[in-house]
Amino acid sequence: MGTFIVQRISQTLFVVLGAALASFALLRYVGDPVNNMVGQAASLAERDAMRRALGLDDPVILQFFHFLRDVAVGDLGISYSFGVPVVRLLWERLPATVELSVCAMLVATLLGVPLGVWTALHRRSVLSHVLLVVSLIGVALPTFLIGIVFILIFSVWLGWLPSFGRGATVAIGQSWTTGLLTVSGLKALVLPSLTLGLFQMTLIMRLVRAEMLEVLRTDYIKFARARGLPSATINYDHALRNTLIPVVTVVGLQFGNIFAFSIIVEAVFQWPGLGLLVIQSIQFADVPLLASYLVLIAFGFALINLAVDLIYAAIDPRVRADMTISRAVS
Amino acid sequence: MSAQSVTKPEPAPRWWQDDLLHDFLRSPVALTAALLTVAIVAIAVGADVVAPYDSNDPASANLIDARLPPGSIGLIGNRYLLGTDPLGRDMLSAIIFGLRTSLMVGAASVLLAAAIGITLGLICGYFRGLLDTIVMRIADLQLSFPAILIALLIDGVTRTVVDRGTHDRLAIPVLIAAIAASYWVQYARTVRGLVLVERGKEYVLAARVTGVSPLRIIATHIQPNVMGPVFVVATINMSLAILTEATLSFLGVGVPPTKPSLGSLVRIGNEFLFSGDWWISIFPGAMLVVLCLAVNLLGDWLRDALNPKLSDG
Repeated sequence: MGTFIVQRISQTLFVVLGAALASFALLRYVGDPVNNMVGQAASLAERDAMRRALGLDDPVILQFFHFLRDVAVGDLGISYSFGVPVVRLLWERLPATVELSVCAMLVATLLGVPLGVWTALHRRSVLSHVLLVVSLIGVALPTFLIGIVFILIFSVWLGWLPSFGRGATVAIGQSWTTGLLTVSGLKALVLPSLTLGLFQMTLIMRLVRAEMLEVLRTDYIKFARARGLPSATINYDHALRNTLIPVVTVVGLQFGNIFAFSIIVEAVFQWPGLGLLVIQSIQFADVPLLASYLVLIAFGFALINLAVDLIYAAIDPRVRADMTISRAVS
Repeated sequence: MSAQSVTKPEPAPRWWQDDLLHDFLRSPVALTAALLTVAIVAIAVGADVVAPYDSNDPASANLIDARLPPGSIGLIGNRYLLGTDPLGRDMLSAIIFGLRTSLMVGAASVLLAAAIGITLGLICGYFRGLLDTIVMRIADLQLSFPAILIALLIDGVTRTVVDRGTHDRLAIPVLIAAIAASYWVQYARTVRGLVLVERGKEYVLAARVTGVSPLRIIATHIQPNVMGPVFVVATINMSLAILTEATLSFLGVGVPPTKPSLGSLVRIGNEFLFSGDWWISIFPGAMLVVLCLAVNLLGDWLRDALNPKLSDG
């Protein structure tokens, strides 16, 4: 276990350092940082002075360390296109993305688990066949198309729900804004989180169904039936509980995917989160913003993966054994 | 390992010999999917002949006929079966030409990813050693990030680095490289896993004993025996690659807007959704779904029919 943790943490550091290196290279070598900061009228001497003041004459290694120090204290430069510090920009946009992702995951779990259980228990009913076919098609549907179809139906044709933005937001504390406390904010959240959660929902539904069918065949379920326990107790207390262990893992692992696909959903619904920001930074060639996003996303993902791995290993001893074995084999 | 394989000689049938064709002809799903795929590819390849109007020709845009609903007839008597886009171009033609771009980008990135992945998988599986450790570690790391995110970031960073002037010209090669870079891992892991099994077998041993050079063993002896599962991975990845292209183009960071692709068409239509002009985005989107569904079903069938061990993880 000790070596496992050390290995995982060193891997995490490796990823973050790699991303930092990439973003450093972007900042340092795309365009001339001095040109980006001084005006047209600056003389050569002024430029040289600026260059020295910025430390751009130092060895590259030293510059990289300075960059790391800046990142560590949260100094990520100033966005070209917005003209404000990148950190503030990222921090402003973070709540929108977090709320969207969490709501999507909630939608996926709260719909996916019951549907999975239902299709497993009523295996032969027409509705569960329909649900399975729909989930198959859902996998082939690209996320942005689902969003567009939702907008077309619920915003354009029916006019029930807003199709862009976050609605009214309320500030909580210093920097967190939430759309969860206003009616317009909640209404704005419905379509994006459904769009984002739909794929995960079909995934969870099919996983729960498969696991449930597996568990229902085991001896202890048969034994429980033989004892004459009510089928609700057997289905929900005995079977479902054992079904949920892999589901928890998948939900954890899918958070990364949710985060990635939130970029697309944010673009479709003009949701003012990190995803929309990174698309804009690419379109406007906003190097400081893109570079900071790289570091942030590498850090976030590495952290999520690390946490999932460690929790998983802590819960299930078999995984620990598995991981050491697969490492020895490969 | 080698002693065991000496006692158990295997005739190793070629993958296409075992009832694959028979199985294919008996499966209605596979047949339909294959027919659909072939038809779509044929339409895309023959776009110049099939499409009613040439979308690449600026003269085909009649601004006066802009955003006409499906089935309308334009001012100068043009018939627009699927309506027109905001520039007055025929949607049907735009979709057919967009299909060509999407298929081309998809196929090119699948080929590139396969070439990188197979090469690395063969070398790593055969030679093992430090290179194997490094490549597989990178593969593991990459798998912990969603492919679409990697493609987006590679594409985005490259676009930022590349000079604005050469931008549109390089957009498609960059897109292909970005998609390939996010999907090579599956090929590498699949091939490597298979090579690890193959390299211990008798025929490899025999070749080695007779002094055949390692590269030749890899290229002419091992490589043909690991290709079956690679086809399955490639088929399934084809629809993923097309989807990735469409997504990136939809986000406005893929194919340049001047060149129609299924994703960029949906993007154009998205801006006019609120005017009620649903056909501009829905038709290309539907085409995309049909294409991906057909390729996916084909891939699923191929996987079940061949039933290989798809990955070593």
